[in-house]
Amino acid sequence: MTTSDDAVAVLGVQAPPATRRASRWRLALPVGLLAVPMLAFLTYFFFYPALGLLLSSIQTQDSRGIIGRPFTLAHYARLVNVELYARVLWTTLRISIVTSVLATVLAYPVALVMVKSRPMVTRIITLIVIAPLIVSVVVRGYGWQLVLQNGPKGMLNWILMTLHIVDAPISVLYTEAAVVIGSLHVFYPMMVLPLASALGKIDPNLEDAARMLGAPWWKVFLRVTLPLSMPGFVAGFTLVFSLTAGSFVIPAILGGASAVMLGNLIEQQIFVVYDWPFGAAIAVVLVGLVLAVNGVSMWLLEGRRLRRAE
Amino acid sequence: MDERFSGFGAIILYTITAGMMLFILAPLLLVMAVSVSDSYFVTFPPQGFTLKWYAKVLQDRDFLEAMRLSILLALGTTAGSLLFGVPAAFALVRGRFFGLAAIKGFLLSPLIFPALVTGLALLQVLTKLGSQDARLNLLIGHVVVTSPYVIRTVVTSLQLVDENLEDAARTLGANRLTTFWRVTLPQIASGVAAGGLFAFMVSFDNYPVTMWLANSEYSPVPLVLMRQLVNVFDPSVPAMSTIIILMAMVGVLLLEKLVGLRRALAA
Repeated sequence: MTTSDDAVAVLGVQAPPATRRASRWRLALPVGLLAVPMLAFLTYFFFYPALGLLLSSIQTQDSRGIIGRPFTLAHYARLVNVELYARVLWTTLRISIVTSVLATVLAYPVALVMVKSRPMVTRIITLIVIAPLIVSVVVRGYGWQLVLQNGPKGMLNWILMTLHIVDAPISVLYTEAAVVIGSLHVFYPMMVLPLASALGKIDPNLEDAARMLGAPWWKVFLRVTLPLSMPGFVAGFTLVFSLTAGSFVIPAILGGASAVMLGNLIEQQIFVVYDWPFGAAIAVVLVGLVLAVNGVSMWLLEGRRLRRAE
Repeated sequence: MDERFSGFGAIILYTITAGMMLFILAPLLLVMAVSVSDSYFVTFPPQGFTLKWYAKVLQDRDFLEAMRLSILLALGTTAGSLLFGVPAAFALVRGRFFGLAAIKGFLLSPLIFPALVTGLALLQVLTKLGSQDARLNLLIGHVVVTSPYVIRTVVTSLQLVDENLEDAARTLGANRLTTFWRVTLPQIASGVAAGGLFAFMVSFDNYPVTMWLANSEYSPVPLVLMRQLVNVFDPSVPAMSTIIILMAMVGVLLLEKLVGLRRALAA
């Protein structure tokens, strides 16, 4: 009704009699134009600023703080060559990968239970998994700070010592482990949801057939369920990795000085050091990392679809 | 439970699931428990019961100002992202023009872009423009990050609209606006509402964009809370956090009522 009609109206071709009366009242504009305000807004406040940042990252800042020529790649070289900064890059990669892998391993069982249980159980699990997603990241980071608190007054230490699992309080807060725990908590739903949706699409007859032919549960999982759930896994892994790599709040609250990530380094360069080109260069590296992972994941998913089509 | 799970496999599955539920809830429940603890420092296990920290928080000028700002900002963001996002969703679903897929990708791209970088890039442009008003800057930044959510939910619900009903209305002589208002909108209302609610919640909790665009005069709730974490050690911080958790729960239940949670998020 919409576009073909619009084309008709625009080209001045005779409209079919049934719609002629209506067409008198209607603007002869293609419906696609409705996207123009949004496009203009995002071009000006998202796309253009992103390009500006990219440009700053290869420029030089003079002593008055003005950014301009000459063009240089020195900021990128500095990120890779100065050990302090290179370590932040590696920490970010390590934390993001460990978090994504842990999220995958821990999401499969929950997603399976979510998909295959009775509706009531599914509903409760869904609610518990999703609800925290909407609670502020600052609050969740704070919650983990309370749980992991170093010293005997922290919840984890209190439990471990009461159960006599350890004799002296352990120190988890302000380590990479704490950042991984916090990131896992924050981004776990992003893994469970796509996995559950992929698992829900698997024809249960396939698994039944494998079982009837005598495959034990783990073989059914490895040979049938796992391969068929790949799209959900790829989507979830990409989301968790990207979001963890770009996080600021969780490493700031739980990592302290020993687990600084790229986001924290950017903030420090802009707000403390006022080194815009270097801050911009780190931001570009972060974006590159995230886009690369997203690109690989799209390629994997597309390739799969094409292979199926053949 | 279910015949599909049995034996050793089932035990592993249910143990991990139960463990993960505990893992998800533990920090939130602890925050809530500590917020009513009758001691001057946050300790475990919480002691006694008092509501005095809530009384303190509700008299805290900084917190109340931040709350007011955050709510107004979230309302403005919701309005802005609906205003831009709903027509754009229409164009994406109903339009047949060259480069449709590319434009859709572009409109949704703020979702995969690290929000921290979105905010930083915007700060640079707004500074160059001389835009000094933090409230306006925050509004712009929040609309950038929330509008893809609106577009996504509205696109999903538009795809479910029965176009025959619109054709019928038009054939019966309704003009385009009437048709939209009386036939299309009622069908996508829950999607639009969910998108708006999403925009509100994302704006209310946003940190990575907010941290660049706020200033000392206009600081939304997440920033004030972050500052308090470092400076305040009595249970008023958990009390503030609990207020935020409860507000989020109301949002979640509303969302579940409107469209169902799984659909709203996985759209």
